[in-house]
Amino acid sequence: MRLGMVIDLDRCIGCRSCAVACKSHNAQPPGTWWNRVFTPGSTFHQAAVGKAGALQMNFLPVSCQMCDNPPCQKVCPTGATYTDERGVVLIDYERCIGCRYCFAACPYGVRQFNWEDPKKAKERVGYKEGYEYGYPVDFRDKEGRLVFTPDRPAGVAEKCTFCVQYTANGEEPACTRGCPGKVRIFGDLDDPNSEVSKLIGKRPSYRLKEELGTSPKVFYLAPTKPIR
Amino acid sequence: MKRSNILMGLAIVLILISLGAWGYQLHKGLIVTNMRNSFSWGLYIATFAFFVGVAAGGLIVSSSVYLFNIEKLKPFTRIASLSAFASILGAGAMIFPDMGRVERVWKIFVHPNFTSPLVWDVIVITAYLIITFLSVYVQLLPDWRKEGRGFFNNWTKKRSQEEIEVLSKKWSKRVALIGLPVAILIHTVTALIFATQGSRGWWNTAVMPPDFVSVAVASGTALVMVISLLTVGKEKFYQYEEAFQTMALIVAGALVVHFFFVTVDLLVHGWWGKPEANEILSLVFGRYGLLYATELLLPAFTMIFFFTKRGKGSFKTLMIGSILLFIGVFVHRMMLMFPAFNAIPLTLAIPGAGIESWAYPIALGQFSEGMPVFVNTWDYAPTLVEYAVALLPFGLVLFVVTAALRMYDFLPQKRVGKHLASKIEQAKAPKGIDFT
Ligand code: SF4
Ligand code: SF4
Repeated sequence: MRLGMVIDLDRCIGCRSCAVACKSHNAQPPGTWWNRVFTPGSTFHQAAVGKAGALQMNFLPVSCQMCDNPPCQKVCPTGATYTDERGVVLIDYERCIGCRYCFAACPYGVRQFNWEDPKKAKERVGYKEGYEYGYPVDFRDKEGRLVFTPDRPAGVAEKCTFCVQYTANGEEPACTRGCPGKVRIFGDLDDPNSEVSKLIGKRPSYRLKEELGTSPKVFYLAPTKPIR
Repeated sequence: MKRSNILMGLAIVLILISLGAWGYQLHKGLIVTNMRNSFSWGLYIATFAFFVGVAAGGLIVSSSVYLFNIEKLKPFTRIASLSAFASILGAGAMIFPDMGRVERVWKIFVHPNFTSPLVWDVIVITAYLIITFLSVYVQLLPDWRKEGRGFFNNWTKKRSQEEIEVLSKKWSKRVALIGLPVAILIHTVTALIFATQGSRGWWNTAVMPPDFVSVAVASGTALVMVISLLTVGKEKFYQYEEAFQTMALIVAGALVVHFFFVTVDLLVHGWWGKPEANEILSLVFGRYGLLYATELLLPAFTMIFFFTKRGKGSFKTLMIGSILLFIGVFVHRMMLMFPAFNAIPLTLAIPGAGIESWAYPIALGQFSEGMPVFVNTWDYAPTLVEYAVALLPFGLVLFVVTAALRMYDFLPQKRVGKHLASKIEQAKAPKGIDFT
């Protein structure tokens, strides 16, 4: 099994629902975003770019690309970053020593560090007393590695896990469920009959920074918007 | 007060300041640094790389004595080994405050991931630490035997002084010869930490490891020279003039090689004209132009200066040249970080809008009023806490070198050569720096 995702840019409206769903389901502290959506070429989101009156506005969601050849995993000195049996790149929050080598290695800027205790960061922004968000309990993989916990320890790296706490039980990731445009399709790339495999076979797709050879398992369907 | 007491005091103050700042950082988290998600390594790693660099000198000097028969350098092999040991100790120590969870570092030994250059760096640096320690140890053994001092040397009591002398000579040579490849490895592997990363154009070049070696030969030899100059003192400079000139030439020669590498590196980065490479070069020559000029001009000055008769001819000029070189090399290490992290790897071309390279913003990892969360550049400048923590290796090196020099004789007189014996007699009275 090789879990992957197809993101249909033709359908993305840039609403950032996936980023918000991701952020709250995974209890990310203020300033930390596992999933981002921007308007390529533009300084501001939802602002068109172009020249000579020909404007265009497309959106590009980016989270961990779940590389098949993951540099973050190869540089990790302790093996805290690893690929599980479903092809998902995960971080063991109890093994990460916080060296941040993976930050230098990852070409996609998806790794996020706990520069301070996330509880403190959450306190400081002044949420309502007792307000807590996100999946409330720890999740460990089959070998007992801690791959989700609502408040990560200070000084460790974190990133998108394909919502391991849900997908390990056959559910879909929060971003996929939270997307109003059905932009995201999640499934097994090894299964030729899965929707992801079929879409990649049928429609022209590309991966980010293909030339770096990281072999991401996140595929983008180009925003074709035929106008001719 | 004795000069060495002042230096020891200073070293202890530096170490205490650093430990205090580190304690504060442990309490608050790395948020007290100015590193953030998009700029995740800074002063600490640069300082680490600097000390790895200067640690080379020891083994370079001692092995050139044995390999190339540069007898002139022989009086300084002890100082060379000491400087190497102290520097690599400092480098190793600098790594710890950079870790988010330093109490887990042992996990590297329990679950080492051998594809990580960092693991290999830990291995070669540990090996180098042991080798340089042994190198100091075997060279001091005869003195310890004679004076009945030292440590780990109970076993020498059963043997005669001559036996120990012979043993010391034999093993000094052996350790130096084993040490040389390890010395080269610590730079190669440290450079490979960066050079292997295809995501960072500024690092991702095969010229970086050999360039690290050349910079290390230059700065490492310069450090041995500075410590030797201070030990010998101005008054006795002339006795060792030839040795100092040889060291100055090694420094200058290594810098020639360094500038050769720098030139080909810049050419290969620039010639093709990729948008990503242009971006890096505009950072190097534009935004960080002043730093880059420092990195180039100071060592270039030292290189030319040390080739001249005047430059390598006196205590003062050698000191000045070396200090300028250290500043240049330190800036060089900082310049590993700035262009690398401020060129966001995920860039896109949007041909329809005439955009060649658009950087995808990264979340900082900190939310604070009035500050953007998503950035495509970060004006990293170390915080006060970072500067304070980074004093650690400086304090350690100063402490180890001063303590060792005042406890033991690192400049054995008998090796100077017969024709100088009378001059030594004269020179015995006024000493340079009093390390005793
Ligand atoms: S996108 Fe980055 S964090 Fe995710 S697998 Fe690839 S290199 Fe690792
Ligand atoms: S920060 Fe953690 S996950 Fe990243 S390389 Fe270091 S130990 Fe591995």
